[in-house]
Amino acid sequence: MDRTQFLLGLSVALFCLGLAGVIVRRNALVLLMCMELMVNAAVLTLVTVAARNHDTAGAAYVFLIFVVAAAEIAIAIPIVLLLARQRRTLDVGAYTGLGG
Amino acid sequence: MDLLTAIVVLPLAGFLVNGLFGARLGRGFVSAVGCGLPILAFAAAIRCFLSLTGGDGAPLVSSAYTWGTVGGQAFGIAFWFDRLSAVMTLIITGVGSLIHVYSTGYMKDDPGYARYFAYLNLFLFFMLMLVLGRSLLVCFVGWEGVGLASYLLIGFWFEDPEKARAGKKAFITNRVGDAGFLLGMFLLYHALGTLEFDGVQAAFANGVPAALSADLVGILLFIGATGKSAQIPLHVWLPDAMAGPTPVSALIHAATMVTAGVYLVARLNGIYSHAPVASEIIAIIGVATALFAATIAVTQTDIKKVLAWSTISQLGYMFLALGVGAYGAAVFHLYTHAFFKACLFLGAGSVIHALSGEQDIRRMGGLARRIPVTFATFAVATAAIAGIPPLAGFFSKDEILWFAFASEHGGSPLLWAVGAATALLTAFYMFRLLWLTFLSPSRMDEKTAHHVHESPPAMTGVLIVLAALSAVGGFVALPHFLSPLLPAATVAEGLESYETPLLVVSVVIAVTGLVAAALLYGQGPARADRLAARVPRLHRLLFSRYYVDELYDRVITRPIQWLSDAVFLRLGDRFAIDGTLHGLAALARGAAGQLSRVQGGGVQRYVLLAALGVLIGVVWVWRHV
Amino acid sequence: MTETLLLYLFSAGAVAGALVMLVARHPMRVALGLIGTMLSLASLYALLGVHVIAVFQVLIYVGAVMVFMVFVIMLLDTRDPSFVARYSRLLVPGALAAALLAAALGALLVRYGLRGPRVPGSADFHLQPFSAAFLERYWLHFELTSVLLVIAVVAAIAVVRGRGGRDG
Repeated sequence: MDRTQFLLGLSVALFCLGLAGVIVRRNALVLLMCMELMVNAAVLTLVTVAARNHDTAGAAYVFLIFVVAAAEIAIAIPIVLLLARQRRTLDVGAYTGLGG
Repeated sequence: MDLLTAIVVLPLAGFLVNGLFGARLGRGFVSAVGCGLPILAFAAAIRCFLSLTGGDGAPLVSSAYTWGTVGGQAFGIAFWFDRLSAVMTLIITGVGSLIHVYSTGYMKDDPGYARYFAYLNLFLFFMLMLVLGRSLLVCFVGWEGVGLASYLLIGFWFEDPEKARAGKKAFITNRVGDAGFLLGMFLLYHALGTLEFDGVQAAFANGVPAALSADLVGILLFIGATGKSAQIPLHVWLPDAMAGPTPVSALIHAATMVTAGVYLVARLNGIYSHAPVASEIIAIIGVATALFAATIAVTQTDIKKVLAWSTISQLGYMFLALGVGAYGAAVFHLYTHAFFKACLFLGAGSVIHALSGEQDIRRMGGLARRIPVTFATFAVATAAIAGIPPLAGFFSKDEILWFAFASEHGGSPLLWAVGAATALLTAFYMFRLLWLTFLSPSRMDEKTAHHVHESPPAMTGVLIVLAALSAVGGFVALPHFLSPLLPAATVAEGLESYETPLLVVSVVIAVTGLVAAALLYGQGPARADRLAARVPRLHRLLFSRYYVDELYDRVITRPIQWLSDAVFLRLGDRFAIDGTLHGLAALARGAAGQLSRVQGGGVQRYVLLAALGVLIGVVWVWRHV
Repeated sequence: MTETLLLYLFSAGAVAGALVMLVARHPMRVALGLIGTMLSLASLYALLGVHVIAVFQVLIYVGAVMVFMVFVIMLLDTRDPSFVARYSRLLVPGALAAALLAAALGALLVRYGLRGPRVPGSADFHLQPFSAAFLERYWLHFELTSVLLVIAVVAAIAVVRGRGGRDG
């Protein structure tokens, strides 16, 4: 099978596994990590295509994504911490404030 | 606007002015407008009458405006003044004006004074429209309108639920009759293509037109007449209508509105002269009603109710005459009846006024000396209705009885016999009324007796005028005057010789009634009560008016109420309509409840839904791009 | 040949790590699974020839982000209801949705996916040429990301401090 095709398929698989993880797991931190997995899957796609097309833009974009991911996690974790402290649990089932 | 239309419009103007501004402009203004305009209408009527008789006898016609055009046929509001409508108009405006003047005295202390005169003028407007209308359509507008005015006036003191109910009863009973009227109109229009009276009369000039059953039309229109003129079986509203003010009873339920049915049949004599079955039915119902009402009147104890049943009975006489083809005689009796019945009602009003509201004749008596004018006029009118010559009632009633016997168009000795028996009873109960009210010893209580006083001149003056008319009105040869329009009924072969003997019999009957009443009631109701105690069941039957109201209640009213309640209200309205709405609302609420679970609050649920959305998006793009 | 083998090997590693993430009970194990996946991905990047990104993946993602994650997991109490009951109420629907999405995307991929090599560009992914090209063309983006990082720091402090300590 063609390498590009295979890696894109892998990316799809990882993305969907990450998505499944976001939906099925209860722990808030695990949820965050699954979201990271999804980001990684997207990055894989980018890198694959950039490598195929010998395009710098793709790689540069990936670099920027790394930075953003770092910034994001730097904020997300404090938020989760505060939430956990307030609700006294990491169980996302208990976080129902966004209800209509 | 010409004079003819003015006759009709003047009372309408009175209604509008008094109705809209009367309450603010004071009693004097209301009286001036309320009485003045009918008097002006009367003057206009006289003027038209003179030009009618002075000229070549052609009727005056005036078209007010075109109401509408349906498929090429124009329907207009037009008025027609021939001899018959002249007589009716003069009676309506003349007696009407008198009663208006009487009302200024009678209703003096009533807070609804302006409203009363407004309604009374409204009634005059519609009644004039009825008799002056050129077509059945305009006549019907007036027909309905007088029904409305009657309802408003019967229930004038509407705060009393009994009185309001009486008004409703009158209106609804009339409506039942109107169904017949409408059906008759439809058939007539369908066959002849016109509703105008002259057109209808012309169509029947040479026998029955094709595609039309004169009998059927006749019967249907007569059903309308039974409603308006209180004949069996739709007579039940008239006694209850006595709940209204007494002048209203005099004007509407004695002199004018109830005669509308008689007018209708007389006007359409072209149809009825070719409808033997319908005519026979009219005659039979007329004479049966006359007897029926007379038997009831003998036992009644409310002065106005006696007069109400008497009215029903006299209307029966008019229909008897119509049924045997003596249209002129019927109108003649209508004319004399207007005078003496109005006089009787207004006299009763005067008595009630004098006794501060007492209406039960068992508690009256001894009033002859104390209210002499009222007594004298009442006595004259009583004699007139009893048929004592040479007062007006004698002439008209005798004419009817003669034609009932001898007319070729359906007269028979049986009709005469029933009519004569009724005449006997009429004389009897009217003189009973006179004796119990005026001539027997007083049975009033102290306080009432102390306050007895004669009525003001506005009232007594009118009584005197009407009594005079009751006395001499019979000398006007009305049937002869009307004969170009309403040909006299032909007398059967060989019966001419009976005329004088029957005349004598009529007089004897009248006198017998007087004597019997005097003997039985001369000293008060005691002797009659002992007599009644010997036949309690009969007395109760008559006193309860043959239980007709109870019958209607059981057979018609209660089933309809049950239908309305169980079927229409419970089943139709609450269960079906409300149930559907509640069901829809519950459905919406349920659906909303289910849908709101989408926003439960769990983040993971939202992510799942987003993923599903993306999935749908992907599939869509794949299929359509 | 070896390349294909390595490709499959590291792909399997990535998937295995992802599966561990889904199945493990202890968050630490989940973190390790994610680290494993990330390292596998870095290897794949290297295999593709984009060594720069591979290294940055390890340095930034594994070295900073996941370490931070591990620290937080250490700090928090494991005796949490989410430890006993790993899965939420949406286990079946979630798995189903993910599977369907995978199927849909996979089908799309099979139909329209990219195939074969294409050599239009001539980018060199070695460090020096890449850095030169990066800073030559994307310097503005680079500067903006540093602003973003400052914002992140400020925001993190603000979030943590919360209501108290305004005057500190």
